[in-house]
Amino acid sequence: MIDVQNLTKVYGSFRAVDDFSFRVSPGEVVGLIGPNGAGKTTTLRCLVGIQAPTSGTVTIGGRNIVTDAIAAKQQLAFMADEPQLFDYLTVMEHLRLTGRLYKVTDVDARAKPLLEELELTEKAQALPSELSRGMKQKVAIACGLLHEPQAMLFDEPLTGLDPLGIRRMKETIVARGRAGAAVIVSSHLLHLVEEICTRVIIIDRGRKIADGTLAELKARPELAAAGSSLEAIFLTATAREQ
Amino acid sequence: MFGAFLYLTACSFKNRMRRRLRRLREPRYLIGLLVGVAYFYFFLFRPRNAAERAGRRMQGLTRLLAPLHVIGAVVLFGIAAFAWLFPGAGTPIAFSRPEVQFLFTAPVTRRQLLHYKLIRSQLGMLLSTALITLLVRPGTFGAGWTFMAGLWLVFMVVRLHLMGVALSRSSLAQHGVSALWHQGIPIAVVLGATGMLADTLLTDWPVVMALPDVSSVFAHLEHLSTSGAAGVILWPFRALADLPLAASAGAFWAALPPVLILIVLNYVWVLRSDASFEEAAAAQAEKNAREKGAPRPSGAKVTATPFRLQPEGPVEIAILWKNLILLGRFLSLKVLLRLIPLVVVLAIAARGSDRAGGLTAVLAAMCIPLAAMFSLMGPQMMRNDLRQDLGNMALLKSWPVSGAAIIRGEVLAPAIFVSVLVGLFILTGTLLGAEVFNRIGESAASLAARLSYAAGAGILAVAFILAQTVILNAIAVLFPAWSAVGSSRSRGIDAMGQRLLMMAGILLTLVVALLPGAAVAAVLVLSVYWLTGTILVVLPALLVTGVVIVECWVVTELVGRAFDRTDVTAIEPVE
Repeated sequence: MIDVQNLTKVYGSFRAVDDFSFRVSPGEVVGLIGPNGAGKTTTLRCLVGIQAPTSGTVTIGGRNIVTDAIAAKQQLAFMADEPQLFDYLTVMEHLRLTGRLYKVTDVDARAKPLLEELELTEKAQALPSELSRGMKQKVAIACGLLHEPQAMLFDEPLTGLDPLGIRRMKETIVARGRAGAAVIVSSHLLHLVEEICTRVIIIDRGRKIADGTLAELKARPELAAAGSSLEAIFLTATAREQ
Repeated sequence: MFGAFLYLTACSFKNRMRRRLRRLREPRYLIGLLVGVAYFYFFLFRPRNAAERAGRRMQGLTRLLAPLHVIGAVVLFGIAAFAWLFPGAGTPIAFSRPEVQFLFTAPVTRRQLLHYKLIRSQLGMLLSTALITLLVRPGTFGAGWTFMAGLWLVFMVVRLHLMGVALSRSSLAQHGVSALWHQGIPIAVVLGATGMLADTLLTDWPVVMALPDVSSVFAHLEHLSTSGAAGVILWPFRALADLPLAASAGAFWAALPPVLILIVLNYVWVLRSDASFEEAAAAQAEKNAREKGAPRPSGAKVTATPFRLQPEGPVEIAILWKNLILLGRFLSLKVLLRLIPLVVVLAIAARGSDRAGGLTAVLAAMCIPLAAMFSLMGPQMMRNDLRQDLGNMALLKSWPVSGAAIIRGEVLAPAIFVSVLVGLFILTGTLLGAEVFNRIGESAASLAARLSYAAGAGILAVAFILAQTVILNAIAVLFPAWSAVGSSRSRGIDAMGQRLLMMAGILLTLVVALLPGAAVAAVLVLSVYWLTGTILVVLPALLVTGVVIVECWVVTELVGRAFDRTDVTAIEPVE
């Protein structure tokens, strides 16, 4: 579903992402982890078409995100770490606008269960200024899920959520994966990645340094001594790089 | 601690300058700087004209000097009275989020924080006074420095006084009734003083109105402001106004002591205030940080949407819907009230130019310049389009929509709003302006003829407004660093040069855009006139507008491709 081949993004002389390749199949929930400045957000932005890759290709459902952007984006949802909402649109108006942009004809029918799932029903007519950071995050996610995308990218999805919200968000992500969507979750919360992701990709200084299920990573000779937790594997893998 | 504040102020200034110098490596900023410097050189410093200009300015200043003393004193009194009677809803002293983060949590006293804000404000005041001095350009160095130093001290007194008023009002809120009594005294004094000034003026109004010319009026007002109760009330304000307007160094030194006393009094008053401002300042800093870069309608209420958005249809309409909602929720009574001074000035100007007519003639005479002004300035002022949405570029680019459709959708709201506004002005002017049209000729004054002219002007205005809006949005895409994100603006001479260049570019592009349609329309008008003797109005206007609409469509297609290729990192954070 998501196919990234030799993705490279260069800013001046700095290679933010360097020859990065991976695939995410339908039903997979892939965790993208790495230290600060590793290139996670740049990768996600290239995947969603916000930034153009310097070289390499990104395809979503077989559609190239650069040359066939509209068809690729139609199948995609990107939930950024900082929710971007229009301050003068209510929650419901955000959903209506998103529905129109993604050609969703039954917005009202889809919005109701989504708002319930994300506990936003009572805030449907509220402006973003009346919402907490966590609620804004939920609104952005509701907009992302409205068109039932086949590929989903979450950048730090748990930021600002309360414990119940965190639990619901994890359930939401896992449910979408089980329903057949290809999901990428970028996060520093390694326990979250360990809990909900079926596969993990570790990126450091723009390069992929590990890719596999937790069991596969544990089985790698250079990481075998790290221990059984993802945190230990991550620290060992990134320390080796440094 | 004083050293730390100085260090913070100096480092911030140094790094801001360094950043501005560093960005000169980009050609657009370098070109902008060159244009900005050239502007200053030709309009302010050009040696060939310097003496002549300075002479002219000084002559003007001397002629105005007497009224300036009166006007300055009254304006300063007005500022003080307004601050007391209409306190703002904001905090007494504004702090940025980093200032709150670093200074409020540090072992710094209230007094030290106040000192920090006073130090920080001096730099801005000095730059402002230097700029104003450059613009006024007194003829000699002596006159220059007394004007600049005097103005700086006046700014300092005003700043201290406003700070003191705000702290006093804050103290009132914190201490309740006892403070109300305490604070009630100065408010009563301000009200009493305002009443006495008004009474003096109203009593003498028949005398003022009977005076033969403006200079006699000002001479009389000068007399009123220096005698009786008004003289006593305005004395400190006159003392302030006299300082920058001192005619010589000797007069400056003579005028200095009362101003220094006022500075000391206000300074002591500010420091003695017991108002706690930290909590409110921290909350305000958070709010300001949230509001930066976007038109956050403070206290915006959910209102009805302009129309119901259907689930299917062109994307452009969805973006129009979004931007019209912004307009509806952003335009408040407060925003409209800000236009009142403009309307008053136009009314006075219109009344002056049309003394013979009645109220309808005045209204008609007002509507015509308003229509012209909004046709020219409206697209610059109404930024509820891509210029406003540049801050949401990442979101926009994640939509499954072509760049061309996004740009078309974005330009619709401001183009429609400004066109409707201008159309209303034209219609009002046409319906009420029979007398104005009468002066052109009897045949022009009939309702049918007037409506025909109005339709032609309205249709042309649409072309004019649409073309400008498209150009402005194209600039936002093609030169995003030249277009301010949200409501913020870049600063510096290079940024000013960029804006000058942009204005010139916009006007040039506008002319180029209008030329093909105008040429076709001109051929039509001349042909019909030659054949039938009739001057067509509406049809040529339709032709011009039709050509412009086609051009705009083509431009949005081309710029849309550039939008698709634009990187979000091209959107530069504004200082």
